[in-house]
Amino acid sequence: MKKWGSVVVAALLSLSLAVAGCANQGQGAADANEILVGVLLPVTGNNATDGKDMQNAIEMAVKKVNDSGGVLGKKLKIEVADDGCDPQMATTAANKLVSQNVVAVVGGYCSGATLPSSGVFKNANIPMIVPAANSAKLPAQGYDTLFLINGLTPDQAQTAADYMAANQAKKVALIHDNSAYAKDLADFAKAAVEKSGGTVIAYEAINPEEKDFSALVTKLKGLQPDATYFTGYYAAGGLLVKQFKQKAVPGLFLVGDGSFSEDVIKIAGADNAEGLLITATPTAEFIEGAEAFTTEYKQTYNNLAPGPFSALSYNAVNLLADALKRANSTERDAIKKALKETKDFQALGQTISFNAQNTLDTSNFAVLKVTGGKFILAK
Amino acid sequence: MEILVQTLADGLVIGAFYSLIALGYTMVFGIIKLLNFAHGDLYMLGAFVGYSLLSMIGGGDSGMGLFGILVVLLLTMVIVGIAGMGIERIAYRPLLLAPRLSILITAIGVSLFLENGAMIAWGAQYQVYPLQLSHAGINLFGATITYTQIGLVLISALLMLGLHLFINRTLYGKAMRAIAHDQTACQLMGINVHKVIGLTFFIGASLAAGAGTMAGAYYGTVNFMMGFIIGLKAFTAAVLGGIGSIPGAMLGGLLLGLMETAGTFVFGGSWKDVVAFSLLILILVLKPTGIMGEKVTERM
Repeated sequence: MKKWGSVVVAALLSLSLAVAGCANQGQGAADANEILVGVLLPVTGNNATDGKDMQNAIEMAVKKVNDSGGVLGKKLKIEVADDGCDPQMATTAANKLVSQNVVAVVGGYCSGATLPSSGVFKNANIPMIVPAANSAKLPAQGYDTLFLINGLTPDQAQTAADYMAANQAKKVALIHDNSAYAKDLADFAKAAVEKSGGTVIAYEAINPEEKDFSALVTKLKGLQPDATYFTGYYAAGGLLVKQFKQKAVPGLFLVGDGSFSEDVIKIAGADNAEGLLITATPTAEFIEGAEAFTTEYKQTYNNLAPGPFSALSYNAVNLLADALKRANSTERDAIKKALKETKDFQALGQTISFNAQNTLDTSNFAVLKVTGGKFILAK
Repeated sequence: MEILVQTLADGLVIGAFYSLIALGYTMVFGIIKLLNFAHGDLYMLGAFVGYSLLSMIGGGDSGMGLFGILVVLLLTMVIVGIAGMGIERIAYRPLLLAPRLSILITAIGVSLFLENGAMIAWGAQYQVYPLQLSHAGINLFGATITYTQIGLVLISALLMLGLHLFINRTLYGKAMRAIAHDQTACQLMGINVHKVIGLTFFIGASLAAGAGTMAGAYYGTVNFMMGFIIGLKAFTAAVLGGIGSIPGAMLGGLLLGLMETAGTFVFGGSWKDVVAFSLLILILVLKPTGIMGEKVTERM
């Protein structure tokens, strides 16, 4: 069902029939007993694995909220739109959700796509809770409708730089994939590395649509880096890891949270991925108190392991439900105010309080390491 | 020296893929003046058909030797070749006498159809090839050249050599060259033009499919959009070599691959396409027909 819906949407979008896209969904028509929540995720394309995973977690959270009586005597109902991790698709999808009159939005995976869509929701005064995207440019827009519950890019860059410094990695190579998010993280990492006394010996970009990075790998091998940090997404990340190992480039290899996915091990091959380091917000498996969530997720979705942003997506829905209850209204201004006033909301692996910028008070990043084909927390 | 040899070897592999795809572009353009924008997606289709065949015959563990891989490669080439003929029959032949623009738009439609069709059939996510080729290799002046790379370049070279002989030494090859020269005259001489055009599509599609399967096994991942960028690059290679010229497509592909790797090395990864395309512009300014495209009237 879900899959078919997204296929239809993608096919229609690719034919530029955005108008038909609205008609296709039958307006999602929330009746009086339902609260319509928009969900904006990349459910097709390069990042579909993570997008689907987040959608699963959101559906699980919604079901849980509804099973325990719903919110304000009504049931939550979600309306999924596909942003394809693409700024143009995201704008179209966001407009579609606005036209369907959603009360609030949960979503945003790629920062590059979330930047324009958050603007659409700001104009429509619709609160948006972002579980994954975390470019520093998002809060810098100063939108009062935008709430980020993932740690920010500078926090992640700092975590990476600290780890490298602690492991005597002085000569650092940085690679991004030209997406807004990856470039941001690479820029912050550059600053953080230089601040902690290291040198950036290479700052390179790759095209994630391509598969052959051998020229770049050869170049880096000649520079003999102590550590290489790739800040882009898993599809290219896996291939880079593989090609680095094949050409035996020395030094540590770190990837950002965009590459935090079982797929990175699958694509690189378990042998090549061994020892790979990931800076990320820990997934459900590493969170104390999230065992029940992990078990239920696996039961519901054919033994699929919850991915990197499932816990955060789950938290986003619960936070929204909590805010709706506190607001005691589905008025957008009231929801906004309630979200803003969130204080020590207990969620999986994090305690959410917002600062002046509507971002997390305390960051939640850690370094993980691939050991025996699995992610474990690195010391 | 090490860097030079390594860059050369890596560029050669990328270039071989570009060449194989560029050949299909150039042959189809040569014979019916169509820029077949769906051609890159036949490469993608080849990668997926190879993926399915390999998965079917048992994951392609070490049990299946080189022979098995070659059989899959050939089978994929035949299947996708037939698909290529089918596309020509259904989508292009009825428009053969229509204005060129109509058939060009049709090609874009076919491209979208193949991309979204593959997404429905195989899913939107990255699939990992059931076969991982060996990383072992020989050491040449300090650079590592894997057996896989050598094998890929050899297979590509063999395919191109076969095509060259086919075009220049067989009756069908002669018919192709004749049609490229003057379609109406060929019809008047009793050559079955449609059959030869179909054959051209078969060959073009199967070469792209061969490249797709090899790329899938070499890089390890396939996805429904993988044909888009490489299709553009191969088209560029065909223009660089002189569109319509078969040796030109081979040369153009290799040159583009080498320019990209050299560009990455000298200027950095984000500049490699800028370097490659600046050279393309330079060559086209100096020689508007492309490197080998001098005999404009006599394509192929």
